Amino acid sequence: MFKGFKLTRKLENTLMLVFTLIFLGYISMSPDMNLESLKGVLIIGITVGIIYGLVAVGISLIYTGLDVVNFSHGEFFMLGAFTGLTVYNFLIDGELIYAIFPDAYGWVGYVIGLFFAFVVMGLFGVLIERVFLRPLTKKGGGYTVAGMGIIICGFGLSVVLLNLAYIIWNPTAHPFHADLGLPINIGGVTLPMTYLWMLVTGFTVAGALYFFLNKTKMGLGVRAVAHSKVISNLVGINVPLYISIIFGIACALAGLAGTLVGPTYQVVVYMGYIILLKAFASAVVGGFGSLPGAIVGGFTVGLFETSCAFFISGSHKDAYAFLLMIVVLLIKPTGFFGVQVKMKA
Amino acid sequence: MLKIKNLISGYGSVQILNGANMKVDNQSIVALLGGNGTGKSTILKACSGIIRTWKGSINFNGEDIQNLPPHNIVEKGLVQVTQGKDVFPAMTVLENLRLGGFTLKSKQTLNDNIEKVFNYFPRLNERKSQLAATLSGGELQMLCIGRGLMSNPKMIMLDEPSAALAPQIVLDIFKNINKIRKDGLTVLVVEQNVRMALLLADYGYVIKDGVINVEGESKKLMYDESVKDSYLGGGGTTANV
Repeated sequence: MFKGFKLTRKLENTLMLVFTLIFLGYISMSPDMNLESLKGVLIIGITVGIIYGLVAVGISLIYTGLDVVNFSHGEFFMLGAFTGLTVYNFLIDGELIYAIFPDAYGWVGYVIGLFFAFVVMGLFGVLIERVFLRPLTKKGGGYTVAGMGIIICGFGLSVVLLNLAYIIWNPTAHPFHADLGLPINIGGVTLPMTYLWMLVTGFTVAGALYFFLNKTKMGLGVRAVAHSKVISNLVGINVPLYISIIFGIACALAGLAGTLVGPTYQVVVYMGYIILLKAFASAVVGGFGSLPGAIVGGFTVGLFETSCAFFISGSHKDAYAFLLMIVVLLIKPTGFFGVQVKMKA
Repeated sequence: MLKIKNLISGYGSVQILNGANMKVDNQSIVALLGGNGTGKSTILKACSGIIRTWKGSINFNGEDIQNLPPHNIVEKGLVQVTQGKDVFPAMTVLENLRLGGFTLKSKQTLNDNIEKVFNYFPRLNERKSQLAATLSGGELQMLCIGRGLMSNPKMIMLDEPSAALAPQIVLDIFKNINKIRKDGLTVLVVEQNVRMALLLADYGYVIKDGVINVEGESKKLMYDESVKDSYLGGGGTTANV
């Protein structure tokens, strides 16, 4: 802000609180405000938030692992949605699933679609990392990163993958009619089943990721590589392998999120671009590089965006995420969880 | 145990080592001495595979290990303990130690080794569930050495274990290094604290401008005037040793 002027932690938090109170006060004066709509906004906001969170976790993971922002991450989201859609259509419209399970419901095909989106995008991510990004890291000996080159490579990959999808699935919007059953009623809010799937799958996957990172040996290795590649090398971790694993997990999460979102809107070639920016905003709000921060940031952006769209104006929906990002960057530049643990001198 | 022949290496296109020759015998403590920027740490980094060897050979236990991936070198039993306080600050002491034993296959060995490290450094046992960021300088150095011991190495290379520590703590750590050697390990110590290092070691090498300048039994080196000269680069006033 001003030269030599730095906000203290306490002042930062107070300002954030003031901003939150002003925002809540503003939307509470909206004529649409009532308990019913508030419940709806909460549920939708959290659902959208967990999707942003899953993609943002991927961006943060890659950032910690490779020290760069992966600008082609949105395309993995889009390709994941197409993978899920293609598998689902192949099984359900091709009636293949009924040959195996005569009494199968639509959700069986959807689960298989989710599984394929997760696995195929994970493997595809590893392939991309090995073929396109690895040669760039070779310059630094295979485990440090040639900064700018990878960022440019990310933009290039984004364009290439977009056009690849364009050739395979053409630019029209594909409806994703996932047959998941009738909408259900939760506490007076009628919720389409797709939202319930997003909530349940999103939380399950986030929980599984937490378990993987904190309780397994491989997760310990991932966290070590994220912190320092040199020390990881010296304790005997195969760092290039772990960078591939990190990239694979991040892309698998994006692919899964794509198939989760698919049925609520449409599956279209351009869907990756806006989710990348919003997930980026979520990661910044939560604190860049922090994984719990990415999930919390996702919820914050999801709730903020949904409530603004509902109570203020729906036609500027896509702008609110970035408004929030700017406010957070001004008041609390580290984001919510972006405080790195500092070493004693 | 470790034989380095005509080692030439450096960073990027800058050559640091101009053909260094060294030998470390089994179960000995060898000190590698020298001033700032003479290539002490570079030798260690080349040995542990973090930087490429341009020319020459590094032989460990009868196998050439130059330019192997770093994790393979750790598996062969050669572990480097980095300079300063290179730990994972956001992880607990126990997690840091577990990472040290990343190459171990069985959980039993891992737990045995953690016990072994706690025997050397009881202080770490008291702090095992604390975040590494909350440890003091001496404790961090203990954690670094402990982490290096976790993977059942045959030889460890310590990069300035005495840096920025109080003399009492340095003494404590050096006593432990001696204990580690008595338990069957080979130790290579890189030091700036010449007197302490020579008191500890059996044999010493003094490096200057990327080549070994002086070498000999540490008792002899301690009174060798040429050590002082090469250490000071000929231009200094008082030797701070």
